[in-house]
Amino acid sequence: MRALQGLRGPRAPSLPLLLLCFLAALRRSLEHGLSTAAPFKSLPVQEEMMTKYSNLSLESHNISVTAAPFTSLPVQEEMMTKSSNLSLESHSISMTAAPFTSLPVQEEMMTKSSNLSLESHSISMTVEHSNMPVEKNITLERPSNVELICQFTPSGDLNSVNVTWKKGDKLLEGNYLVNATGGILYTQHRVAVINSKQMGSYSCFFGEKKQQRGTFNLKVPEINGQNKPLITYLGDSVVLMCKCQDCLPLNWTWYGGNGSVQVPIGVPVNDKYVISGKHANETRLKITQLSEDDQGTYLCHAIFELGESEGHVKLVVLSYLVPLKVFCAIAAEVVLLVAAILLFEMYTQKKKKPSDDGKEFEQGEQLKLDDSNGIENSGPRHRKNESVGQ
Amino acid sequence: MAYRAEPPDGGWGWMVVLSAFFQSALVFGVLRSFGVFFVEFVAAFEEPAARVSWIASIGIAVQQFGSPVGSALSTKFGPRPAVMTGGILTALGMLLASFATSLTHLYLSIGLLSGSGWALTFTPTLACLSRYFSRRRSLAMGLALTGVGLSSFAFAPLFQWLLNHYAWRGALLLVSALSLHLVACGALLRPLSLAEDPVVGGPGAQITSLLRHGPFLRYTVALTLINTGYFIPYVHLVAHLRDLGWDPLPAAFLLSVAAISDLVGRVASGWLGDAVPGPVARLLMLWTTLTGVILALYPVAEAPTGLVALTMAYGFTSGALTPVAFSVLPELVGTGKIYCGLGLVQMVESIGGLLGAPLSGKGNKISRWAMAAVFYHGGCRGELI
Repeated sequence: MRALQGLRGPRAPSLPLLLLCFLAALRRSLEHGLSTAAPFKSLPVQEEMMTKYSNLSLESHNISVTAAPFTSLPVQEEMMTKSSNLSLESHSISMTAAPFTSLPVQEEMMTKSSNLSLESHSISMTVEHSNMPVEKNITLERPSNVELICQFTPSGDLNSVNVTWKKGDKLLEGNYLVNATGGILYTQHRVAVINSKQMGSYSCFFGEKKQQRGTFNLKVPEINGQNKPLITYLGDSVVLMCKCQDCLPLNWTWYGGNGSVQVPIGVPVNDKYVISGKHANETRLKITQLSEDDQGTYLCHAIFELGESEGHVKLVVLSYLVPLKVFCAIAAEVVLLVAAILLFEMYTQKKKKPSDDGKEFEQGEQLKLDDSNGIENSGPRHRKNESVGQ
Repeated sequence: MAYRAEPPDGGWGWMVVLSAFFQSALVFGVLRSFGVFFVEFVAAFEEPAARVSWIASIGIAVQQFGSPVGSALSTKFGPRPAVMTGGILTALGMLLASFATSLTHLYLSIGLLSGSGWALTFTPTLACLSRYFSRRRSLAMGLALTGVGLSSFAFAPLFQWLLNHYAWRGALLLVSALSLHLVACGALLRPLSLAEDPVVGGPGAQITSLLRHGPFLRYTVALTLINTGYFIPYVHLVAHLRDLGWDPLPAAFLLSVAAISDLVGRVASGWLGDAVPGPVARLLMLWTTLTGVILALYPVAEAPTGLVALTMAYGFTSGALTPVAFSVLPELVGTGKIYCGLGLVQMVESIGGLLGAPLSGKGNKISRWAMAAVFYHGGCRGELI
């Protein structure tokens, strides 16, 4: 019976509707969360109006830590009005620690307009795991407001906890808020990320007997090159591709070269290199007339507003001789096999009927199916067949 | 002039089984595993997958339609020259394909050239095998045809490895070298003359007498119908499973299960065909009826366990009918005319195969399975007559 034909795969469904519902649900839960604050006594209230850059997104990241309860704290309320096209991202990391005493608390109420997207992440840590670094990677593509929140549950006194923020190794002054509700210490730091200078590692430190640390790593999106090396042959042409999953870089550039020297490709536009890309999130480099020198690792640079990212593609150029040698070896093996089989057959025929001088050659390699050959062959073959059946 | 009165049923026949095993592996195993190359072709030639899959379709079509030519040649000159030429043609086709610069180039070299090579190898080998056996024919057939299933398991990872190390050009070159072993397999096919040979005459006379042979014609029609239904389940099983909510990996795994039970079915049915006395055609009827029933149950089965059981059963029965189908033919037309007979059957049933998959694509889910079941029943009715 015949062989299997290829299978047709089904079409994949798309989920735009589901995404919209999810966002709507999250937004509703955020508003609900902000309104349920813990009860507190009368406290000084500071109102602050902040004007924001337009077209900025707000990202809020929390780090929270499990710990013991704490007493009532002064509360500061903050009202902010925002412009449109803002997104709110909220990320949390939690850690366990000792309790602390009353601390100034700042609450923030934010009213949002439409086009809001909300992201909320949280990591929790217990006191047994305080040796493990608590880190969170955040991928940013466009300039936005980023809100980093650390939640810390201390085991001892709330007041004795010292809260600091650092970017890299530099201590950050001012604009971070500390809140204490229900036994958990919250600290929040807002960063307006406009260019690559604001990207990097931000850490919150809770100073106690043992310092607890949570880190947020702000990075640009990663680019996927190709993990496996691309094999090509001399004189052939190849297409190198770099792709970014969910991001849209401003620009792509290609660099190639052997060793440490990185030479930009395509700068003098020529036939050998053609850079193209069907969609904004991918780039293709077509190289024609490959030679040995084209071997090596190629880098595709994606330029974002907030920095650069790169992917690697490794190219290997082989000569035709490499598989050809294997081919010749196998062909020689087949010839030997055929010769062995035919010789064995002749040998057994000769052993059985030494007097019979009919030849039973079929030259398999140089077969010419002309009539004379056919007639010749059928005669002796029939004579031999008595001995068949070993 | 010494002609054997009876097929030897053993002896050198087992070497022919070995040769047929490797041949079915090299012909159909390569065809089935070619899918890994298609991904590379889509990227290299920037053509849609549908156009690339035509390569395999052309190859299979040429192999089937060219079967009468293969059988005519092997009647006239014996199976050995035909198969060895076929092996060289196949290897040549793959060799030329490694230099391809366009998809048309591949259609011609792999589809046409290698396809005709396959046509010259497969049919003569199976026919030669059935001449070597009479009592144990079904078993020999079953064993030889297991080569198809086993090679699909081996060749798919092998081809992927070749692609990773040599890219598709080098990999095609090495597959060509692999196909050269068909020549070695051909060398193993020692010709056999049986008592009927001088009586039935040359290929022209054989073909005309076959076309006037009533039971042979009915058998051909029956096999065509069976062949029409044969591929529908394989083509649509994965889609059917995905519709029911299965993930891709378990669905593919279920296909492997079908392949394994297909293998087991072939050998078991081969053994059974020889162990049970009486005409083999009755067994063919049994397997086709069972397959039809199983297929009719597919739309009803929803639970995973039911589907797994059904797939295993389908694999077993459809594998089981293959060796029996080939074994019925010698009984029908006699071992003298077997080469031509098999060639004609292959050619006609290929029409069914070509029609089956597109036809089934038109209907909805349930009608597909029903269609397949109907085809099988038609086949078994043919057997009844």
